[in-house]
Amino acid sequence: MTSVTPRFQGRFCDGATAAERPVDVERDGEDLVITGEDKVLRVTLATVVADAPLPGVPRMLALPDGARIETGDRDAVAMLFPPRSRIDAAAFWLESRWGAALGAIPVIASLTWLIVAIVLPLGAGPVAQLISPRIEIAIGRQSLDALDRVALNPSTLDADTQERIERRFRQFVEGEPGEENYELVFRGGALGPNALALPGGIIIVTDDMVRLAPNEGALMAVLAHEIGHVRGRHALRLILQDSGVVVLITALAGDAVSMSILAAALPTALLQSHYSRQFEEDADEYAFAHLRRHGYSPQVFADMMRRLQQADRGAKGDAGVVRYFSTHPLTEERIQRAEAQR
Amino acid sequence: MDTSAVTAPVYPFQFTGRTGDYFRIWIVSLCLSILTLGIYSAWGKVRKRRYLYAHTHLAGSAFEYRARPLAILKGRAIAVLLFGGFAATGHFLPTMQWTFVALLLVLSPWIVVAANRFNAQNSAYRNIRFGFTGRIGEAAKVFLGFGFLSIVSIGLAYPYYRLRRARFVVAHHRFGATGFVEALYGGDFYAAYILAGLIVFGATIAAIVGGILLALMASVLGAESEPSRAVAYVPMALMYAVYLLAFSYLRARVGNLTLNGARIGSLQLFSTLRARDLFWLYFSNIVAIIASVGLATPWATLRMARYRAQRLALIAHQPLEGLAASPADRATATGSEVSDLFDVDVSL
Repeated sequence: MTSVTPRFQGRFCDGATAAERPVDVERDGEDLVITGEDKVLRVTLATVVADAPLPGVPRMLALPDGARIETGDRDAVAMLFPPRSRIDAAAFWLESRWGAALGAIPVIASLTWLIVAIVLPLGAGPVAQLISPRIEIAIGRQSLDALDRVALNPSTLDADTQERIERRFRQFVEGEPGEENYELVFRGGALGPNALALPGGIIIVTDDMVRLAPNEGALMAVLAHEIGHVRGRHALRLILQDSGVVVLITALAGDAVSMSILAAALPTALLQSHYSRQFEEDADEYAFAHLRRHGYSPQVFADMMRRLQQADRGAKGDAGVVRYFSTHPLTEERIQRAEAQR
Repeated sequence: MDTSAVTAPVYPFQFTGRTGDYFRIWIVSLCLSILTLGIYSAWGKVRKRRYLYAHTHLAGSAFEYRARPLAILKGRAIAVLLFGGFAATGHFLPTMQWTFVALLLVLSPWIVVAANRFNAQNSAYRNIRFGFTGRIGEAAKVFLGFGFLSIVSIGLAYPYYRLRRARFVVAHHRFGATGFVEALYGGDFYAAYILAGLIVFGATIAAIVGGILLALMASVLGAESEPSRAVAYVPMALMYAVYLLAFSYLRARVGNLTLNGARIGSLQLFSTLRARDLFWLYFSNIVAIIASVGLATPWATLRMARYRAQRLALIAHQPLEGLAASPADRATATGSEVSDLFDVDVSL
């Protein structure tokens, strides 16, 4: 059996004091013989536990009495002690090869993309279906309260205007699933001309947006777009996707330096914006169909987009204003699509 | 009495890790972690730590990290629950988020003790384990009590709070049977934090004044010119640089104070971190990591480890060989590891 008798040198620490002694270690049948300067130790090989191998790191043997032997002779240890943990053995195999390490880069990149761009958005849809409309409405209420505290003021529009728009809005949501949950709220404040769809059916439209709209059709184009968001439960799905990314990053990088978390967050943020763009397109499609059904041409949508774009350019440099296009990107494309729908 | 200081041998720390090796361990860990939806990250953390410890040498011997991945996995699960809950309630039920903040606060003394204990117990040098003997009650007094005091005193007690924290952590560590003794002083901590505060305060004033001057210049020269927008970012970038400088200064100064204030029997650490070195390391590391989409992270980690080791030495008034293990550690070294409330890695 013992055709090869591995013999190696190591450093022995008995575990009682911080003293270190050089030793020779040799296999003798079923035993391991440890020879030091002044004494010889014999232990059963099966009772000795070797640590998991790491590239570029000496091996450590734990003896049954708590003593340890460190050795740089990794081949001898590998020969004497087969790996105990399959996980560590597989990791060591991969870590010892540059090919595997470099191959990991595209794997990591595509998996991150797969999870953030495909799995999370796909998963967010069904999960959103599991969340009851009552909870969604509560979330929307709380979001509105939070926005009211930090960014919004009461509307300064006169009651007649509000009522007129409100009436038209009611006609627009008539027959929608969950019709009774739709609620249009008017707000002033620093958001500029803007409209937001919150989870549950609350749609905020700012005074500036109402004033910017040249006619009712233009304003309805914006509102139809927001109704599209509510219908697709986009706000809730985005929240779920964000939460998924947070959980993912915590799980992966619980101990990582915050800097690498930052670096990891960059590409995911880009992918996220891509997917919120997908939501914008869906809401646009819905708005075009809706406008036509109520006797408007999608051209009113394109016109309103142009106006918003101009207002946005005019507001440039006006710090502190969250502009419509920071939340609704790629207007040129959207205008063209609207015009193609005529 | 103590005149042996001059003749005591000084052992420098050394770091011998190689970027290539560590890069492969790191990237395999990242890849397998994603493939296993985070489960492998516990194994990955142990392997990365083991590499860093094994390449930190003192007096010819390396340190050793002994944590079991399962204990880390448990900690990960707790962290995911806490942070996932925190993030989710933030979106869904902002009022509920306070419950999580409260829960984290209540748990924080336990987290501090558990994290320190786990780390210490799983760190060894020459087969002698470190240990941590801090109690939850005292941790609560220091972290919650003095933490609260530093808030109600509008920050005036903050350096004192940091002092108490450092004292708590240092004084309850032990190497084998030899307990650490702290010699940390409030005056040093106040001096460090006041200087850092002055740096930030001065820079903020300078940035405001500079910003106003630039705005005036822009209006005189004509506001239409586009470059003025870029110029406006210069004071902002300088501000961040000064923040990083103040941060580096505190890291160096408080780090030195804490390490140099620790006595292990008649051994003494000697740390000489410099703010300007740390500033450069942090800055270049951030730039490299961002520019490489994270791939430079292992390189950055090793650079920092190498620098820290370079700047640390041990002054030994007694032979290292004389330090003994704690009997309690000897009892658990061979048998199955104790699995209690503390055998979980919650270091955040």
